[in-house]
Amino acid sequence: MSNIIEIKNITKEFKVLNRREGLKGSIKDLFSRDYKIVRAVDNISMTIQQGEIVGYLGPNGAGKSTTIKMMTGILEPTSGEILVGGNVPYENRTKNAQEIGVVFGQRSQLWWALPLVESFKILKDIYGVSDKDYEDMLALYQSLVDIEPLLHKPVRQMSLGQRTLSDILAAFLHNPKIVFLDEPTIGLDVSMKAKIRTLIHALNQEKHTTVILTTHDMGDVDALCRRIVIIDKGKMLYDNDIEHLKNFFGSYRTLKIRIDGSLKQLAEEIDRKLSDFKVSADDEWISILVDEEKATVMEVLSRLQQSYKIRDMQLEEISTEEVIKKIYEEGVQ
Amino acid sequence: MKRKGFGFYLRIYGKILAQDLKSKMSYRADFIISTIGMIFTNIAGFLSFWILFRNFPSIQGWGYYEMLFLYGFSLVSLTPVQCLFDNNWSLRIHVYSGDFIKYCFRPINLFFYYQSEVFDIKGLGQLAFGIGTIAYSWSQLGLGVTPLMLLKLLVFLITASLIMIALQNAAAATCFWIQNSFYVLDLVTRFKDYAKYPIAIFSPVFRFIFTFVMPIAFIAYYPSIVILRPEEVPLLSWLSPLFGVLFFWGSYKFWMYGALKYSGTGS
Repeated sequence: MSNIIEIKNITKEFKVLNRREGLKGSIKDLFSRDYKIVRAVDNISMTIQQGEIVGYLGPNGAGKSTTIKMMTGILEPTSGEILVGGNVPYENRTKNAQEIGVVFGQRSQLWWALPLVESFKILKDIYGVSDKDYEDMLALYQSLVDIEPLLHKPVRQMSLGQRTLSDILAAFLHNPKIVFLDEPTIGLDVSMKAKIRTLIHALNQEKHTTVILTTHDMGDVDALCRRIVIIDKGKMLYDNDIEHLKNFFGSYRTLKIRIDGSLKQLAEEIDRKLSDFKVSADDEWISILVDEEKATVMEVLSRLQQSYKIRDMQLEEISTEEVIKKIYEEGVQ
Repeated sequence: MKRKGFGFYLRIYGKILAQDLKSKMSYRADFIISTIGMIFTNIAGFLSFWILFRNFPSIQGWGYYEMLFLYGFSLVSLTPVQCLFDNNWSLRIHVYSGDFIKYCFRPINLFFYYQSEVFDIKGLGQLAFGIGTIAYSWSQLGLGVTPLMLLKLLVFLITASLIMIALQNAAAATCFWIQNSFYVLDLVTRFKDYAKYPIAIFSPVFRFIFTFVMPIAFIAYYPSIVILRPEEVPLLSWLSPLFGVLFFWGSYKFWMYGALKYSGTGS
């Protein structure tokens, strides 16, 4: 397998005006400008291979968009090297654009008034797709999702889910080497989310397209990505397999128990007893986040049974969502 | 990848335009109302012109039919900017909301791709009205129809259109730097209303402004002189085609410079 994206020590800095407060401050700003340098992306390196699906994660404002903009050639890095499919994106913007597809969950790139099939035909001409490749692609689409009812509908009249689906299909139409998906499932219902995940997965398998996925929905990550890259405040926090991430965080499991009585009070009581672990309560369960390096779940359970009559219990593995949340909040130690 | 030339862009534009028109026609009420609106706009415009010239048979030596020619000339030369570059009006909104970024990922010319999205059909009525006005005043002035005259008319109409397009491009592109470029765009649009008058009627200060600062005199006045008064053509008139091309090219570069510098708001 070959590297489709190679990024070496890229940094992107922006000059931002230090705004003063209030009206007086705004007037002062007019005359004396005080700039500070903000480092949106700080010394990031990674290589991505053809055919991978990479989850690119980070809290809001972490520098995800900036990195994507550099990969798509919209921004020039302040320093560092970046190669996408052998091109330097910002130097060969047009050539790079031919090799990539981009989807923004909230911004449709299709012609608003035109039926989908007409948009496809215009894109076919813009990207110079041959008749045969075009027909094959449409046949593939038809086999994956039922596009027939969508084809003759103007994009303007589509539901958000149909529009996102159409945008994804449009992005893959010219069989690009890489597709960037920016929050593709944002605002969609559960069944549409599942449909879109299946579609992305199938297209990746079928066409061996590299997919860079930014999302805040860990369902997307669980369904699609084997590898995740996490950045925060412009710095790379993590770049590895998703399983590795969970181990990396120690073996956490959540023990849920049900006891008669006021769960809130009991939870506080237990919290004092088990000072090592985080205890919380909702309407039904008391949850204890057990770090199995300190004590096993069974040990915790037997300790609790000495003082309480446990009526019911559940055991949960830690979810990707919780791991990611922990990383965003505490970083990687 | 083969190089994308003029033919390629023309074909793409034709396809987008055909589809766009088709979808617009499907909204019959909308289509009819905007057509009626267009007719009334033109009638109202002409009426104010007509009232003015019923009262003043000539202004600074410019007779009624000469003024009518100027009026028709400005209508025709303002058509391309209205029909083909109307999306410039939405540019500031696209830029402000961050939507503009969606235009940046296609392997074709960004300026072309952006402008091709909108074709304003309302401009076509203005075109028909303008051509009618030119033809009528042409015959009344007894200018005669020779290939040379028609060639002159065509060249100078294109020149005038290029200048108006350039003005609007430049005004619209200011939104890449300033928050509300509407006023700049609006200012240019208001000034273009003066294009239909011979600049001889203005004071020297405005004559200078309309020639060198906001060159609206090139939209109708300087080109029309070539046809109306061949004996007193100033050098500026002969230079105007060159000027038009240069100015258009400059505004295109300015627009593209702004667009490429643009990085979108955070997602």
